Amino acid sequence: MQQSMKNLPSDMAPAKGLASLSLMVRLALRDLRGGLRGFGIFIACIAIGVASITAVAVFSRGLTDGISREGRVILGADAAFVAIQREATAEELAFLSSQGKVTPVAYLRLMARTADGTSVLSEGKAVDANWPMHGRVITEPALPISELLAEKDGVFGAVAEALLFTRLNVKVGDTVQVGERSYALRAMLISEPDKLAGGLGFGPRLLVSDAGLRASGVIQPGSLMRWSYRVTLPGTPDESTVDALITQAKQRFPEAGWEVRSRMNASPQFARQIDRFTQFLTLIGLTALMVGGVGVANATQGFVDRKRADLATLKSLGATGGFVFGLSLIEVMSLALIGSLIGLVIGSLLPWIVISSFGHLLPLPLSPSVYPSEYIRGLAYGLLTALAFSVPALGRTHDVPVSALFRDSIETSRSWIRPRYMILTLLATITLVTLAILFSWDRRIAMIYVASAAGAFILLRGVALLVMAAARRMPRPANTEARLALSNLHRPGALTPSVTLSLGLGLTLLVALGAIDSNLRNQLTTSLPAKAPSFFFVDIPNNDADKFDALLREKGGDISLERVPMMRGRIVAINGVSAESYKASDNVAWVLEGDRGITYSETIPKNSRVVQGAWWPSGYRGKPLVSMTKDVADGLRLKIGDTITVNVLGRNLTVELASIRSVEWRSVGINFVMVFSPNTFAGAPHTHLATLSFNKATDAAQEASLARAVTLAYPAISSVRVKDALQAASDLVAQLTMAMRGASAIAILSSILVLAGALAAGRTARMKDAVVLKTLGATRRQLFVSYLMEYAMLGTITACFGLLAGTAAGYGIVSQVMKLPFTMDWSLTIASLILALFVTVVLGLLGTWRILGEKPAQYLREL
Amino acid sequence: MHPSASAIAIDLKDVHLSLGQGVSRVHILKGISLSIGRGEAVGLVGPSGSGKSTLLMAMAGLERANSGDVIIDGQNLNTLNEDGLARFRGKRIGIVFQSFHLIPTMTALENVAVPLELGGARDAFARAKAELEAVGLGERLSHYPGQLSGGEQQRVALARALAPDPAILVADEPTGNLDEGTGSQIVDLLFKLKSERGATLVLVTHDLGLARRCDRMVRIRAGHLDLAPVAA
Repeated sequence: MQQSMKNLPSDMAPAKGLASLSLMVRLALRDLRGGLRGFGIFIACIAIGVASITAVAVFSRGLTDGISREGRVILGADAAFVAIQREATAEELAFLSSQGKVTPVAYLRLMARTADGTSVLSEGKAVDANWPMHGRVITEPALPISELLAEKDGVFGAVAEALLFTRLNVKVGDTVQVGERSYALRAMLISEPDKLAGGLGFGPRLLVSDAGLRASGVIQPGSLMRWSYRVTLPGTPDESTVDALITQAKQRFPEAGWEVRSRMNASPQFARQIDRFTQFLTLIGLTALMVGGVGVANATQGFVDRKRADLATLKSLGATGGFVFGLSLIEVMSLALIGSLIGLVIGSLLPWIVISSFGHLLPLPLSPSVYPSEYIRGLAYGLLTALAFSVPALGRTHDVPVSALFRDSIETSRSWIRPRYMILTLLATITLVTLAILFSWDRRIAMIYVASAAGAFILLRGVALLVMAAARRMPRPANTEARLALSNLHRPGALTPSVTLSLGLGLTLLVALGAIDSNLRNQLTTSLPAKAPSFFFVDIPNNDADKFDALLREKGGDISLERVPMMRGRIVAINGVSAESYKASDNVAWVLEGDRGITYSETIPKNSRVVQGAWWPSGYRGKPLVSMTKDVADGLRLKIGDTITVNVLGRNLTVELASIRSVEWRSVGINFVMVFSPNTFAGAPHTHLATLSFNKATDAAQEASLARAVTLAYPAISSVRVKDALQAASDLVAQLTMAMRGASAIAILSSILVLAGALAAGRTARMKDAVVLKTLGATRRQLFVSYLMEYAMLGTITACFGLLAGTAAGYGIVSQVMKLPFTMDWSLTIASLILALFVTVVLGLLGTWRILGEKPAQYLREL
Repeated sequence: MHPSASAIAIDLKDVHLSLGQGVSRVHILKGISLSIGRGEAVGLVGPSGSGKSTLLMAMAGLERANSGDVIIDGQNLNTLNEDGLARFRGKRIGIVFQSFHLIPTMTALENVAVPLELGGARDAFARAKAELEAVGLGERLSHYPGQLSGGEQQRVALARALAPDPAILVADEPTGNLDEGTGSQIVDLLFKLKSERGATLVLVTHDLGLARRCDRMVRIRAGHLDLAPVAA
């Protein structure tokens, strides 16, 4: 008897702390030696999500880093001082020249035309002999740019982008007219180093020399042009030297009103666009990860089910519930680490592959590098998703009953996981959400996204519970197959929750993005032109305005014409606070960022309504007043009586806010954010902007003939065909939606993978059921029909929910965020419904097809 | 047989145990009192559903009694929390299952080492190797369960149960999944090792022949001890 006491191992003390952790790791590694069977989808889900997030981050960092690294080349200098509608004064120029080498570059719209009057609106740029100071301009044929633009035998040279050659149907060596002069198109412009700094325009670039532009006669007082004076400081100046120059210039010329850029922020608007788009793509990447999370949860549940006996055995050998949980967690997180690393490798290589394949097509300074912080973030997203989605299933391992190992035992397991695992799940979720919100460009949108995602999860869970409850309560159908199908929907271990969640999330995303996409396109292509004018005319000289109207009425016939004065102005201060330091809400920040079109008017513009304050009386002669649109006034937190300082033509004018208007922007009529009282600009040189609408239906030939007549009579006036402009905008949207679709395709791929995983998870149980049913006399046809009915029911219910939720999300974004009218795209809706049904039924039947052919005997032996 | 207190390995006093919730709750053990001496071998017999396995689980600390005392090797299991029970089990109780329950991803050696590793033994592998040699599997150390025959798997399970030198060995139909020849070899081995280590053995079986090899046979019927003598 004493023997047994002596035999008690005296050297054994339960492993605790680090020793326990090291034992967990050891046992986990032993188990993982058995291979990754059953974890393919788990790893793929994490890898896809991490890959998409990492690829987007690396691509965007490559782009923004490229822009800041190549700042001097993109800006074409260390600092640029942009004067609007005026040239620099001799004093200003003398100051800038004393600081470094100055190269002036002029930007304006130019109508280029051929002898027969065919014209195209181009983005004109005039440069001096020193351009480009930095980077390289590529032309075909490759000749020195000064030689290409020089005057030879009385004809100036010009270089243009391919689009201009196509639109005018000309070739290198031909001549085009601009204003009053002919220019020889001596080469095609392939790329210019400072393209981004000039902003993106509608038309093709037309590059001429400074002298050539002046000779054209298009420069009129008040012409809408920008003069950029670029200063390259001697040697390699550091950032503080560049900043010192800017500060000095601002102090010296407080009234200059120029827009200043340094090489450190060569293209802030573009950089912001990248940020915004990156955030959007990151959210889609997160959606992929979240949908993948459902796959993680399903796979973990499968793992726990498979490992039940092993875990119970460990418990029978002395392992505690916490130990068994820790061991399982280490295994699952090791797999998540593998998935995340695969995702990181793919995600960080993808931008390189894109650049090596398409880099030459992108006019962007792309140079992706190694970004450890982005990798860490991608890894964190992957691991946290795995943690948040796996702990609820893993928590159950704690209470795996050892009694399950004994015969004739009644299984008792808790239905809720222990609070500590709930807290762990919650912590992982909160960290994941905080990360997503902290690193987003617009936290409000990120929060809305997170709330919607949480809402979708809860709703889908609710839908699943509802479907199961309804299936349980429904009267039993007389038809055997239908009865089997119905009971499969609600029995324990039914596919309903996992299929609803994976298919529902994927479909909601698909439908929401489709709705946004189709509404955006719809807005640009079909709903507008009915109301929109056919032409915009810009740069109508003040003196020719009446004659121009007469010409249009003569050539256009039955037309509606609207013409307003137009100037460019920049807000430099609000209530005495400089525009740079003024805090504007995100949606109107653009108003403070550069020059805007401004106008004056005696009367309230069409499509406008005064909602606060009062319009100035006719013949008003008092202090200068301004009226602003409501959205901008709200975004700038302005109230009636506030003062706004605007720089126009190199003069600072302080005006008082007299009224706030609401505007029907979609009418595409002429409307300006800021409308001034006429006395504000009395006597200032300016041009006019006009719109023309045909009162009767016209064809393209009529429009072209009118454009030709205008160009011939007024070569300096730019005419913009609205359809062309809309087409350009539509093309841009198409490019953006392509990227959106690419990113969503990843999220949808993820959801199909998860769906396939969910359907496959039930296969073993189904195999046993099928064998028993066959033994009892079920035919293959009966089994097939019952599965078909089950998948069709599941697919239809989930698809209906996905359509509803996706349409609701699309409606919210289109009408609330984009402020556009929402139209339902029925073809998209029906196509999504059919797709969802097809995918569910096909994936489901693929999984069960093999079952139908199984011989019962073999399985019965194993049962 | 009523052993003196110091010589008692297992002491059950009026143990009641119910499983399940609500309407599906079943009262399985209905006031079981039983004392088993150190080194004694007891065979639990009875019809299916009588509560034999549940009684075994209560002794191993795998199910908690609703009332009554379960005192194993001097330790009242009611006073231990779940983790305490797990540790107690790891050190003092060895379990042999009908279905072996070896971990398929571990070699024979690793399977036997697990309880020692869990108990914090520094020489877990050396002792596991010695245990496997003791059951005649010295040549099969690096084999996985899938590469072993049923009899070999049960011998690994036996080595694993005995590795921490438990005071109590419980076995649930240890030969239920084996053919007669292999089964009898396992039983011989079980009794031999039990005797060598002086462990207390409680085994559940339907096989009266096996039960008779024990020092005592206890019959359970509908959750009660059936005190009527078992026919020899």
